[in-house]
Amino acid sequence: MQKLVVIGAGMASGRVLEHLFETAPDAYDVTLFNAEPRGNYNRLMLSPVLSGEKSYAEIVTHDDDWYSANGVTCRFGEAVVKIDRDRKVVVGQNGEVPYDKLVIGTGSAPFIIPLPGKDLPEVITYRDLDDTNAMIEAAARPGSRAVVIGGGLLGLEAAAGLRMRGMEVTVLHLMGHLMERQLDEAAGYLLKKDLEDRGITVLTRASTKAILGDGKVEAVLLEDETVLEADLVVMAVGIRPETRLAKDAALAVGRGVEVNAQMQTSDPDVLALGECVEFNGQLFGLVAPLYDQAKVVASTLLAEPAAFVTKELSTKLKVTGCDLFSAGDFAEAEDREDIVFRDPARGVYKRLVLKEDRLIGAVMYGDTADGSWFFGLIKDGTDVSEMRDTLIFGPAYQGGAAVDPLSAVAALPADAEICGCNGVCKGQIVTAIEGGATDLGMIRATTKASASCGTCTGLVEQVLAVTLGDDFVLPAAQSVCGCTDLTHEDVRRLIKSQALKSQPAVWQELGWSTPNGCHVCRPAINFYLLADWPLEYQDDPQSRFVNERNHANIQKDGTYSVMPRMFGGITTAAELRAIADAADKYNVPTVKVTGGQRIDLLGVKKEDLPGIWYDLNAAGMVSGHAYSKGLRTVKTCVGTDHCRFGTQDSTGLGIKLEKLLWGSWTPHKVKLAVSGCPRNCAEATCKDVGIICVDSGYQVGVGGAAGMDLKETERLCDVPTEEEALEVTAAFVQIYRENAKYLDRPYKWLAKVGLDWVKAQVVDDLENRRALAARFELSQTVYRKDPWAPLAAKAESFAPLADLTLEAAE
Amino acid sequence: MDTLMDPAVRTFVEVMEIWVPEGDRLVPGGGHYGSRSAFAEASRKTSFARGEGLPGKAWAEERPIVLKTFEGSYFQRTEAAAEAGLTSAVAIPVFAGRTLKAVLVVLCSDDADRFGAIEVWAENAGTLTLDDGYYGAARQFEEISQRTTFKRGQGLPGSVWSSKTPILMRDLGQGYGFMRSESAGRVGLNTGLGLPVPTPDGTIYALTLLTASGTPIARRFEIWDARAAKVGAPGKAVLTDGICDRTGPLWDFETDRMVAAWQGPVGRALGSGLPVIDTGAGAAGYASVVALPIHRGGELAHIVAWYC
Repeated sequence: MQKLVVIGAGMASGRVLEHLFETAPDAYDVTLFNAEPRGNYNRLMLSPVLSGEKSYAEIVTHDDDWYSANGVTCRFGEAVVKIDRDRKVVVGQNGEVPYDKLVIGTGSAPFIIPLPGKDLPEVITYRDLDDTNAMIEAAARPGSRAVVIGGGLLGLEAAAGLRMRGMEVTVLHLMGHLMERQLDEAAGYLLKKDLEDRGITVLTRASTKAILGDGKVEAVLLEDETVLEADLVVMAVGIRPETRLAKDAALAVGRGVEVNAQMQTSDPDVLALGECVEFNGQLFGLVAPLYDQAKVVASTLLAEPAAFVTKELSTKLKVTGCDLFSAGDFAEAEDREDIVFRDPARGVYKRLVLKEDRLIGAVMYGDTADGSWFFGLIKDGTDVSEMRDTLIFGPAYQGGAAVDPLSAVAALPADAEICGCNGVCKGQIVTAIEGGATDLGMIRATTKASASCGTCTGLVEQVLAVTLGDDFVLPAAQSVCGCTDLTHEDVRRLIKSQALKSQPAVWQELGWSTPNGCHVCRPAINFYLLADWPLEYQDDPQSRFVNERNHANIQKDGTYSVMPRMFGGITTAAELRAIADAADKYNVPTVKVTGGQRIDLLGVKKEDLPGIWYDLNAAGMVSGHAYSKGLRTVKTCVGTDHCRFGTQDSTGLGIKLEKLLWGSWTPHKVKLAVSGCPRNCAEATCKDVGIICVDSGYQVGVGGAAGMDLKETERLCDVPTEEEALEVTAAFVQIYRENAKYLDRPYKWLAKVGLDWVKAQVVDDLENRRALAARFELSQTVYRKDPWAPLAAKAESFAPLADLTLEAAE
Repeated sequence: MDTLMDPAVRTFVEVMEIWVPEGDRLVPGGGHYGSRSAFAEASRKTSFARGEGLPGKAWAEERPIVLKTFEGSYFQRTEAAAEAGLTSAVAIPVFAGRTLKAVLVVLCSDDADRFGAIEVWAENAGTLTLDDGYYGAARQFEEISQRTTFKRGQGLPGSVWSSKTPILMRDLGQGYGFMRSESAGRVGLNTGLGLPVPTPDGTIYALTLLTASGTPIARRFEIWDARAAKVGAPGKAVLTDGICDRTGPLWDFETDRMVAAWQGPVGRALGSGLPVIDTGAGAAGYASVVALPIHRGGELAHIVAWYC
């Protein structure tokens, strides 16, 4: 009988032995080494053991009786010291064993981030039963806190298990969404929400700086200086093949132990399989290919022909109640087409990725019933053109069903606020409908919903449609874009009432029909989110128009214009010199004084932008935002300082207004002017906000226009002091930011909601005015920053055309 | 004969019965009464209006109810229960959306050495607190439970709440796995089944059955997932977890075990949406099986089955 030595009693090598004993029980005398003091158990089920949903006894694959019945000599708890290929022996801690054939199944080792504090005793990885038991023990201490570093499969399973054990758990994930290798952003959002519903805190884009503690773990420090208290740190950031023995034995090792299709290493008598191997440049972490490898190893050992081939893989997360499925390739690319289905009420997201009439990827969350069918289509490369229209509904639904356009509103809970003005919730509207209200007028009369600014009208009508069914005919409304049936106003309202604070939250909860929106809706949604959640939401530059992305206006010849801010139209000789120097240095062909009282440098090459910004920054100037949907300029006249007609310090107020408002994002551009007297030299009566100074104070007008439409401002209010003028203006800009449809200038928005409603909010209700101004200021703590500064860079190779100093001297 | 090979055990629950709505009353829908034929007979002749008796009260109040004293209460079969030695009961209404499908009632006897727990946890200001529970002789465990609260995702009740699914936990008393483990271990509570009890107004209730090997609530537990989102179409269910005193783990890592509508007691619960009690062939060699359907959003979502 030949001698077979197996190193590692994992799932893959265990499956080899099963095949071997089934096919040729007398072929080999087997010795099995395992560094763990136990035999083969189902490691994939460690997570349910951690959570308490399985016992260790249940996940044992091979017990002592099995090894004994099959005549396996078990050397458990004994590490292998080396493989001596010349003598064909394996040297264990307790002595050596000769082999004719050797199987290496050493698996993988967890990757440890080289952080300060990584060696503290409560920093553990998650690979085996001992790790699991260590976590269980740590969780037994009441009120203990765990930080899990890594939001991949293992990290999340550890987090869910520890939470079930009663710990306060925080997951830190470096990337923008969880399980980014297996899930797209939309599914990652749903998973995060699901975990947060379990009381787990999930921090994405979280980079760990150090693990703190004196002799024991006390806290985790993040790069942004956040400190998270912790009693246990689980590091689950990845694995690497365990190749030390193979490397020491001079076998060919790349990232893993290199094997051929017969699972032979560079030594044909030494085979390897599992997480320690590399085949055709590929590593393996999921169980399906490991079992395929096991069959091949058994065949090779019995000199039977067999070859390992890699296959498509699918992913499963073992957290009870989290249903997700992912397979294939779902990266975005131009030659691919997406089919998306969302059901916000059930938390369902399904996305299929097609390329050339074939399914190449599938991501599903909440409804995974058809996962294996889609997986089959991917593996087989089936032509799906015939069933494309109904493909997303799965094999049982090839008759087809339309996505319900009302699903987002149907999914709203009864306490979702529909009318923000009057604080009316969906439940109250439904009660009114059940009480006999059958149209918008009756709803307004009974609940006051949609009776003030009216921007929630679309939502109220949708609640009527959802509740009354066919008895209510929904008026046609202009949706944001083809990705949704909701209007801008609906979306704005729902972002607020449902506290949607990220783009994936909007796409999912409002039932978007595309994975990530489109070029039409993304800028709008990006603005709505940053306006409503300035602290929580991070501006997404990819969701901006090109000029906003580049912080400069692109001109028809492909060059850019650069316009520094001149607060209130006031500049200095030094600033003018710096502008002139910049114009010279970068060969700016056109220097233009604008109608907004500043200087535009036109014809700047894209590659010169960081340099010119750097030079202007150095002279104390910031971006003038001449390219943005935000505050542009505050035009002023000279006011009381110089003008004999001036009634107030209009220039001073203009500067204060611009310093207050600059950097803010708004639904469309916002221009202001302050005139020092009714002669109106600053042309304030055609601005979005125009202030006319008079002897008694300040006349604040809003909603002017002087572009495609020409419109005079309407008087919002008269205020006696400069402070009130500033506060009213900030409040007006904020209420416009919070309510207007993206790309509506104030005059267009005012035509929809009515000046009276705005007056009631901004003028009559002093408390509300202050709250609006305070919210504006809160937002400005984030956005009153020069966007040029982080991108500016000193030009490297500037050589003056001539040395003017020298010439002068000569 | 498996049944004969098992040592005789005294079960924690003595009687299980189902009440189904018929018009404006609840009428008997089957049950397991064991040797308590007089109580069975009394029950067969009874029906309850909404708000009447224990089943009617669970219907009217739309929540699970624990009743630990019959004498002087709204319980209507007090005399027959006393004769049968039954002292406590738990009524679990089964709602599909706003529709009452049935009320399952389990009745127990007091006994100085009968340990177990049937608990109702209710959400209160963001945490789960014990609404009420029947613990048999496990008095200290009862006291600890009354002082315990669970946040979302924590422990068996908190996990049932956050995952909206039934959960089967092992080794409750093994020093970990369960927030009240020390006390649970002392009285031999080793397995816990937790399940959500949906109600029309959306109030969160989690029911837990904690079983001790000496006086088991059940000797075999199964959890079946019947959601179309999991199995693709109504009328099918997949076994997601299960454990049996005799055959060990029922789950299979590699092969799904499916049941179709009307196949056995679980299949009957799947087909009808009603709880099923079977004392015959469907009980897999045990004396009885209860298959309890759990609906979510009007759809049949899960079935839990326990055999004793």
